[in-house]
Amino acid sequence: MESQDAREQLAMVETILATSSRTLCAGGEFFLVWGVLVAAMDGLNQLVADNVMPISSLWATPVLILIGVAFSVWRSMQLRAKSGRMSVLQRDYLAMMYVTMGLTFVAQFAGSNFFAGWGQAAIWNVAGAIVLLFIGLHGNRRAALAGVLLIVAMAIANYTPGMPGYVLGAGMLVGYAGFGATELLATE
Amino acid sequence: MDDLLLSKIRIGIIAELLASDWITFSALQQRLQTTNGNLGAHLGKLIESGYVEELKAFVDRRPQSRYRLTQRGRDAFIAHVREMQAMLQGSI
Repeated sequence: MESQDAREQLAMVETILATSSRTLCAGGEFFLVWGVLVAAMDGLNQLVADNVMPISSLWATPVLILIGVAFSVWRSMQLRAKSGRMSVLQRDYLAMMYVTMGLTFVAQFAGSNFFAGWGQAAIWNVAGAIVLLFIGLHGNRRAALAGVLLIVAMAIANYTPGMPGYVLGAGMLVGYAGFGATELLATE
Repeated sequence: MDDLLLSKIRIGIIAELLASDWITFSALQQRLQTTNGNLGAHLGKLIESGYVEELKAFVDRRPQSRYRLTQRGRDAFIAHVREMQAMLQGSI
């Protein structure tokens, strides 16, 4: 191999690596759907706590979770089929998201005595904030802001004993679902 | 030097796969601006030597081929780039 060929090959490799996509596709629809569903669950819990709704109406919670899971599975399969490439960063992001959300789900059941009452709702805000802040750390300012918003909502809920469900729900609606909506609008 | 990576197309394929978890044939073709036959032949050689792994699946009832870099391919690429850099440093 001649020096000129080596130079050309190295330059080509550099160009390929520099132009390969390093942006994170967060998938706005997932945030939008889960934000709305979790906010609905928080609101429902508050209505039950305020005796506005009967306790039997809590049957809607597993139904809402199932709707979210079904949507996520269906949409993931659809996006995977359409996509021509998955970057290493995107793979790591998905792994982080699944681990965070999966462990939160497990913690709710395995640690139900620690995360009792509104703690169960608040832990979802923390998990959501971790995911959003990860995206934020990769250059998405809206995600960073939304992550902070979820934590702020949790802190406010902590000091508003009369309506923590509404405050946590508002955080999920504005921070999580709102971020999803802005992502969808930005990619259109 | 790794003879297999002396080809511009083949080293281009490896570089594309380096930043990807996986990539489809058509996406690879689009990125490298080459013909079906040419890309297929080069990919075949890389698969044969264990540098690239091929994953076949049906998407919307159509066959789709996805490619992924193996650890062997990654190591070979790194060694090749190092050798090219050393060669250039020696020639200065």
